[in-house]
Amino acid sequence: MRSNTLSRFIPALIVVITIALITPVIAASPFWLDNSVLVAIFSLLALSVGMAYGQAGILSIAPAAFGAIGAYATAIVTARYGMSPLLGLVLALLLPTLLAYPMARAITRLSPLPLSIATILLSIVLEMAIREGGDFTGGYIGISGIPTLWFADSLFSMHILSWALVAGVIILYANLTVSATGRAVKTAKHDPLRATADGINVPALLAVYFALSSSVAGLAGWLYAHHLTYMGPDSLTMHVSIRIVLMAVIGGASTMLGPVLGAAFLTLITLYLPAAETQGMIFGAVLILVLLVAPNGALGTNWAKLFSKGRGRTAAKTANGKNVTGGAT
Amino acid sequence: MFEFIEYLTRGALVGVTYGLLAFPVSLLFSTTGSVDVALGAYAVLAAAVLYVIGGPLGVIVAIGVAVFASILVGLISLRLNRPGHIDHIIAVLGTFGLATFIESFILTVFGTNPMIRQPFSTFWDIGGIRVSPQMGINVVVCLAILSALFIVLQKTPFGRAMRASAVNPVGAALNGIPVKQIWFATYVLGGFLAGVAGVLILYTTGADYSTAFNLTIWGFGAAIIFGMHGPLRGFAGGLVIGIVQALSAGYLPGGWATAIPFIFIFVILSLGRMNQIAATGGRV
Repeated sequence: MRSNTLSRFIPALIVVITIALITPVIAASPFWLDNSVLVAIFSLLALSVGMAYGQAGILSIAPAAFGAIGAYATAIVTARYGMSPLLGLVLALLLPTLLAYPMARAITRLSPLPLSIATILLSIVLEMAIREGGDFTGGYIGISGIPTLWFADSLFSMHILSWALVAGVIILYANLTVSATGRAVKTAKHDPLRATADGINVPALLAVYFALSSSVAGLAGWLYAHHLTYMGPDSLTMHVSIRIVLMAVIGGASTMLGPVLGAAFLTLITLYLPAAETQGMIFGAVLILVLLVAPNGALGTNWAKLFSKGRGRTAAKTANGKNVTGGAT
Repeated sequence: MFEFIEYLTRGALVGVTYGLLAFPVSLLFSTTGSVDVALGAYAVLAAAVLYVIGGPLGVIVAIGVAVFASILVGLISLRLNRPGHIDHIIAVLGTFGLATFIESFILTVFGTNPMIRQPFSTFWDIGGIRVSPQMGINVVVCLAILSALFIVLQKTPFGRAMRASAVNPVGAALNGIPVKQIWFATYVLGGFLAGVAGVLILYTTGADYSTAFNLTIWGFGAAIIFGMHGPLRGFAGGLVIGIVQALSAGYLPGGWATAIPFIFIFVILSLGRMNQIAATGGRV
């Protein structure tokens, strides 16, 4: 694998260039700027799934729950107590981590399967807690009047800020992935026994990685709250989580850009979908279809290999051989 | 004290259906190493179908629909999780997709109304506790099904093949046991049991479209409390979950009453009952 410093910046660079190209086109349209910010927020959430599921193999059904913690943290601090959104940002990054680490530590002793069940539990309990939170969380009514960010108070500056955060997270994430920690996580995902033999404390490592991924979701929640200026119990639910998981899987959960691509694709396609209650059917069916056809997602699949498979074994073999040599150089 | 006993009885009676849901969880987990998150969705689907059609025909159609849904999941999982190419998380994700699909389907076709039927207007009086005769039916049905399954698992060649593929899939395949077909049968059996549970739930506590994931969690929790080794443990686990629900509903204020059973399962999870597969490094 090439790991020179420059290649780590390529995914973030692609994002920056794409946004630079798109911005002049949509700068005049509030509708598209608004959607662009939403795509950026969901990209962050999907990146958090990519980190947990794509890299560490922990399927989390709670990215929206961690996002909701971040969003409520900043909403309560800014709208209730009139404090700085920067304090909200610190809380949004910190609280999900503080919740995710002990949770993962208690459960992922080795198997990620129980942890994904635990994330469902977390989603359900958190939704309940928000509804029952009374004045503190706004209960069923939610919290409205969350102030916009004073350093990004227009839609355009919000668009720039949110994509800058996406690019920043991708740079850090790419760095983490090629670091010793990132490699250890990959080994732990594919073969925990081997990783343990190599001297890695697998449960601790996976818990740290899970906690990091949850703080990315918290960051997204912070943006979400300040963008929409409203946060309610129906804002970031388990159904949103499932959609986020779908985004990551469609784009390619183990890649840097896959979650961003998936988020853009699904957010834009949702604009043209029918009523909310039938969306679940479409998302569910698409999820199954993607898993059946290309479980590694659009960017994680070797499409040449996939198509050459149909033409016969020899074609698949050569494609495979090419891939191996290509990967070694 | 009387109140306590009443909650205990009611909880145990409701928990019987969770025991029915627990069985497919433990069976599937020990046979394929995976979890079918859509179990609760089959149950709600069966309840919804029976709510609309009604009568004995409705019961048959309801269970049939649940079995059909589980056949779909079985096919999908077989494709995702071939022996030799095993990724449990992907299989779980697939069942998630189907659960979402079914939930949304129920919401679209049957709406948001809670679905419940009360077939009995007279109640039994057991030591001062009013109990619907339906509870008696639930207990009898569950015990009958579980004993039948117990006999099938322990005494028939099919049961032996199933247990063999659970203990050692490679060894079982080498001995000529069609492991893939056994896996598929496990999924379908799960759908059947979830369908029966759905029918009983419609006549007992009722269900609505959003109950699906909760039911999966109750079944799952019931399965892990005493370990995933047999149907009787899951049944006992179901009783415990039902009792925890009834007690927290009886003694705790609104919000806590619904949250405590979930937190209880979370604690059970973190006690590590399910991590026993860890000894093999996460491999089956």
